[in-house]
Amino acid sequence: MENNVILETEGLCKYWGGLKALDDLSLAFHDNQLHGIVGPNGAGKSTLLNMLCGHYKPTSGKILHRGESISSIKPYEFARRGIGRSFQKTNIYSNSTCLENCSVAVQRLMGGSFNFFRSRYSQKMLDEIATQALEKVGLGQRRDHIASQISYGEQRQLEIAMVLATSPEVLLLDEPMAGMGHEESQLIIDLLSRLKKEYCIVLVEHDMDAIFELSDQLTVMVDGQHLVTGSVDEVRDDPRVKEAYLGQGDEVY
Amino acid sequence: MLLNKRAERLFVWIFFPLALLMPMFLEQNEYYVNKLTTIMILSIFVMSLDYLVGKCGLITLGHAMFYGLGGYIFVMIAPEYEAVNFWIYTFYICAISATVAFVIGFLVLRTNGIYMIMITLAFAQMTFYYFSDSIDFGGTDGVFVYVKPETSIFGLSLFDLDNPTHFYYLCLFSLFNTLLFFKVLIRSRFGRLVDAIHENPGRTVALGYNIFIYRLVSYVVASALGAYAGYLFTLQYGFVNPSMLSWTTSGTALVMSILGGMGSIYGAILGTLVYEGLHYSLEHLTEHWLLFMGGLIILMVMVFKKGIAGFLEDLLEKRDGK
Ligand SMILES: Nc1ncnc2c1ncn2[C@@H]1O[C@H](COP(=O)(O)OP(=O)(O)OP(=O)(O)O)[C@@H](O)[C@H]1O
Ligand SMILES: [Mg+2]
Repeated sequence: MENNVILETEGLCKYWGGLKALDDLSLAFHDNQLHGIVGPNGAGKSTLLNMLCGHYKPTSGKILHRGESISSIKPYEFARRGIGRSFQKTNIYSNSTCLENCSVAVQRLMGGSFNFFRSRYSQKMLDEIATQALEKVGLGQRRDHIASQISYGEQRQLEIAMVLATSPEVLLLDEPMAGMGHEESQLIIDLLSRLKKEYCIVLVEHDMDAIFELSDQLTVMVDGQHLVTGSVDEVRDDPRVKEAYLGQGDEVY
Repeated sequence: MLLNKRAERLFVWIFFPLALLMPMFLEQNEYYVNKLTTIMILSIFVMSLDYLVGKCGLITLGHAMFYGLGGYIFVMIAPEYEAVNFWIYTFYICAISATVAFVIGFLVLRTNGIYMIMITLAFAQMTFYYFSDSIDFGGTDGVFVYVKPETSIFGLSLFDLDNPTHFYYLCLFSLFNTLLFFKVLIRSRFGRLVDAIHENPGRTVALGYNIFIYRLVSYVVASALGAYAGYLFTLQYGFVNPSMLSWTTSGTALVMSILGGMGSIYGAILGTLVYEGLHYSLEHLTEHWLLFMGGLIILMVMVFKKGIAGFLEDLLEKRDGK
């Protein structure tokens, strides 16, 4: 089955001074697929996601969304094009309830954000969509809890719920399972295997079991360089990958 | 519920009825009526600043610029010896100052934190020196307002601005409406974005919002209200002068807002009341009132970490807990 290319990078580079955090990366991300990205610490994975969502501007190279170059659009326009992201470091409205966190996300689609007088609590539909997003990630019972008072794993789930609440087409997930217990991770794995049927997902993750289980395409990066891209089996058997990982002292299996 | 904190409800239910009855007790004493009127006006000004600083997280040291502009715009556009209509000029002054705020906000809101403090201060100082040096506007003496506006709506004149009690009620009414307006605004959908941007701007961008526009709208609204307060002040005293524009006016308002409890909105009234109350009582006790005042303010800010409003909220919550 051939899936449409949604997001593409062409010779993407990001330099921090002399440091090449990302060097000449050309990748294509497809609809209804999960594209895993792995690599040792400092490989440039977060840098890549940060550019795909407009948070950083590339030093050179292009980002294409459905064939159209979007390297020069404003950061907030990425989300409006359906490119949603979760952050490696939990990034939520921690003084608000879980529902309110998702409501901010939903409201952009519902409109009325310049309405001074209409109560923010007045629309049932907005509440419902926000609640659905919470339920999707298994946070239904935490709806009215303050975000800072739920567990760390749950905050990671909330992070994903917020992205889902924006009704995106592309999900850029930066280590969504970092710091989660086994059960919580399993919940996210189940969630992602369902979601990847509907979305184009780019997943950065250190948990190898999870990434092998979920990925349709897998890219390995080392020191800002692209190493290999292919199916899980192809990548797993690639001698360069073994070398890169073993050379770094990291374990693959 | 519009007033969602117990302390807030309690305050509103005590303050406004009392303020409504006050002129009856003070009937003989115009001095106190005038004093209270000024407190109402200042409260509006401080409240608009509190919204910007406490609610939107936009720290400005130039808010007095709009306070002063409220007065200067009036003397600029109103004919000198002819009574204009109060309501129409309220509209003009708010509209003109909103336009000024739009242009300045466009520049100021591109910066952040300390830079924003500096650039707002710079704009305010520029206006201050412009009016201080201007011969047309009386330099440091300012300009007198010889004729106060009339207040008729559809030919019906309800009250007289020359009557201190009437003017007092106008200011009280304005203050109440300002409070109501901000409370409704904060609860609104726009308010949801204000909260979100204040708490986590980066996240709000990632959710697809152009946060600059929301900040600009807030800045324009708060500035127009600040100008309205300045307009009232000018009408009360019958003159406008550059001290209204000075950075100490901004600074004092900031202190009042912090004292009252930043971002609480109703705390602006508390802060202004306490500050002006202290000012008045100390002034009568000692020549060195500024020194004592400074010390007391520092002490209060240290004791009430979240301002007087925060202190009251904690107090009521604790009592409920038992
Ligand atoms: N804002 C920044 N300024 C300077 N250097 C940066 C910045 N962000 C990242 N880097 C550098 O770029 C390189 C790639 O970082 P990046 O965060 O993309 O790695 P990563 O693959 O996500 O690593 P990890 O697995 O630890 O999350 C690192 O050497 C990092 O120090
Ligand atoms: Mg990273």
